[in-house]
Amino acid sequence: MRRFRGIILGLFASASVAAPQQSPGPQRQPVAVVTAMIDAAAPGSVVRLPPGVYEGNLVIRKPVTLDGGGKAVFDGLGRGTVIEIAVAGVSLRGCTVRASGDDVTGESAAIRAITGPVTIESNRVEDALYGIDLREAPGSVIRDNIIHCKPLDPERRGDGIRLWWSHGVVVERNAVHQSRDIVFWYSENLIVRHNTVTGSRYGLHFMYSHDTTLSHNVLSDNSVGVYLMYSNDIALTDNRMINNRGASGYGLGLKDCDGIVIKGNALLANRVGVYIDNSPCSVGSTGLFESNMIAFNEIGLLATPNTHSNVFVANAFIENEQPATTHGRGQLTSNVFARDGVGNYWSDYAGLDLDGDGIGDTPYEPRSLFGAMLTAEPNLRLFVHTPAQRAIEFTARALPELRPVPMLIDPAPLAVPPTVGSEIADAPGSRAPMAALAAGLLLSAIGSAFALGRERRALPVPEGNNA
Amino acid sequence: MTALASSAITASDRPLGSAATPARSFVGGIAAFARREFRDAIASRWFLLYTVAFTVLAVGVSFLSLSGVGSHGFAGFGRTAAGLLNLVMLVVPLMALTAGAGAIAGERERGTLIYLLAQPVSRTQLILGKYVGLATALVCSLCIGFGVSAAVLAWRAGGVGITAYAMLVAFTALLALAMLSVGVLISVVSRRSAVATGIALFVWLTLVFVSDLGLMASSILFRLRVQEIFSLAIVNPMQSFKMAVIVNMNASLDVLGPVGAYASFTLGRALPWVLAATIAAWAAVPLVLATILFARRNSP
Repeated sequence: MRRFRGIILGLFASASVAAPQQSPGPQRQPVAVVTAMIDAAAPGSVVRLPPGVYEGNLVIRKPVTLDGGGKAVFDGLGRGTVIEIAVAGVSLRGCTVRASGDDVTGESAAIRAITGPVTIESNRVEDALYGIDLREAPGSVIRDNIIHCKPLDPERRGDGIRLWWSHGVVVERNAVHQSRDIVFWYSENLIVRHNTVTGSRYGLHFMYSHDTTLSHNVLSDNSVGVYLMYSNDIALTDNRMINNRGASGYGLGLKDCDGIVIKGNALLANRVGVYIDNSPCSVGSTGLFESNMIAFNEIGLLATPNTHSNVFVANAFIENEQPATTHGRGQLTSNVFARDGVGNYWSDYAGLDLDGDGIGDTPYEPRSLFGAMLTAEPNLRLFVHTPAQRAIEFTARALPELRPVPMLIDPAPLAVPPTVGSEIADAPGSRAPMAALAAGLLLSAIGSAFALGRERRALPVPEGNNA
Repeated sequence: MTALASSAITASDRPLGSAATPARSFVGGIAAFARREFRDAIASRWFLLYTVAFTVLAVGVSFLSLSGVGSHGFAGFGRTAAGLLNLVMLVVPLMALTAGAGAIAGERERGTLIYLLAQPVSRTQLILGKYVGLATALVCSLCIGFGVSAAVLAWRAGGVGITAYAMLVAFTALLALAMLSVGVLISVVSRRSAVATGIALFVWLTLVFVSDLGLMASSILFRLRVQEIFSLAIVNPMQSFKMAVIVNMNASLDVLGPVGAYASFTLGRALPWVLAATIAAWAAVPLVLATILFARRNSP
């Protein structure tokens, strides 16, 4: 619609020769108009773009601030990278950047910087293969951008935001939808906070990127919320990973990472809450999981059998279909589930706290027979949520010789769930539709009871019909 | 049962069609029997008992799932739904099977069936009418349980997951219709109501526990492939129901491991429809069989 209107206005503008140069309303012009404006500006000055649609591929070679005021649109017309920043000190803000090319080999992006620092702020990216791509652009800032990638199959998509060899970058308050990843390659000392990623493959993906803090990000409805790979000394605090699913869906995945601190996060309703693949991997290194809420996942904690030296303390494992298990055979017993007499809360803990010290009187030692069967025969997962599953667990409780060895031992399970550091707000939502559904169901039941259940006014009964 | 028996007798004292006029239309006859069956059902103790039990359990599950740790929006709703799923899979087939089992065998045993057959309606109309009446009563009972439970959800969790909840209600109703159908078939072939109830309980046990445990064992013993396990599993209406509810909540069956992932991958968008169709087949086929068998019988 907007495009259509733009065409009409464009025709109108070109038809009326007398029209002033800065006619209001969106207008289609070649991107060379912007190049000319940049060329005319002094380095370091602010170039304010008049509202309009600028078509083509722009390369910025002068350190200026390009301000679209929220009404300038860069349209790549489906070819190549839309805006390339080739010089340090450029700021790009308030622009809509759309329709990059979609060739995977060229890695077309909406906005690409090949040097830094640059500032990319408050832009809107639509229909892009890669959203914002920083290559060797240290010290840059990517803030308040909204990024929608091309509606391609997941394996054909590009990354919403990609950093390549860019240390000390701030990535904050961006919203990415339908991309591959927000991915960080070989980039250290980053600040990654308050970002939202939905409908993508990995929310936040770290490759060989060390010494970073991730906080207050929300990663929902992706395949994986946060996946840290070969990246050391990362602190993950107060993030929310919700409903990340799929055949390899994880809230948080850790692959060969040392010195990881996971604190105050909420991992809810994922296929797997936390997946640990050989982390920590160096001798003497540990991983710390403290005060996280790990709830409503199919599997709370899943780890490869060689996983060891992780410390779990004061986490709340609530209503996970399987609280903790290994990927393959073996147990989780080379990890530590209590520190200084404080363990974790497990909602399936059946013990008591008679002395009232907040710690359960007996250790938590989960021995689920069905869980053990699942480990041996993954196909049996079809039968979760069935009465038959409950029957198997009941049998195992009744017949101790059938009980498997404990998956882990928490010597000091908490009697009440700890308060998790991050503020976990309930999802907002109007009550009206649910209340209407409730009323509808009840009224239809009562209504039909009245309509059908009422005695009909008796017809005059023929004499002979009385038995 | 005594209430049912006495009400059945009083009901059969009343004219169903107007005996003075020629037989009603086909649908009219069914409607008359359906109204009578519905009235008898809601006046009887089993209906009240099941409704109260189902409502209390549904509300209990909703409360428990949402209490203590906060609801966490969608996530908390998932838990509620999983709890309700277990409840429905245990209770609803039991309600429907036993209700269906009592439909014909009870009246036959008490001798009231012969009075009903003396009315100017066909046997087909009678059995379909009974089915429709009982089905309406069952669905009403479910609506009350789910309605009160929805009120609890609205109060505690807001409008989260409303589509999934509505689909849960719809599929539960479909499951109830299927199990009622099986119950009615059992009732037609049973001479006595105790036998019918016995068979109904046996069928319930088989569908709820034995078939799943059997399939688990066979999948391990015979190294069944995922497509074989899936095909065998959806034959059980309980499994189809479970998968249908989960697929509506998660849009994918990855929750159910390799077999679920296989089903989502191969059937894609058709999956919920395939599942609904298998449950619908469980509703249609036994009912048609029951109607044919009942219509062919010479004795009541």
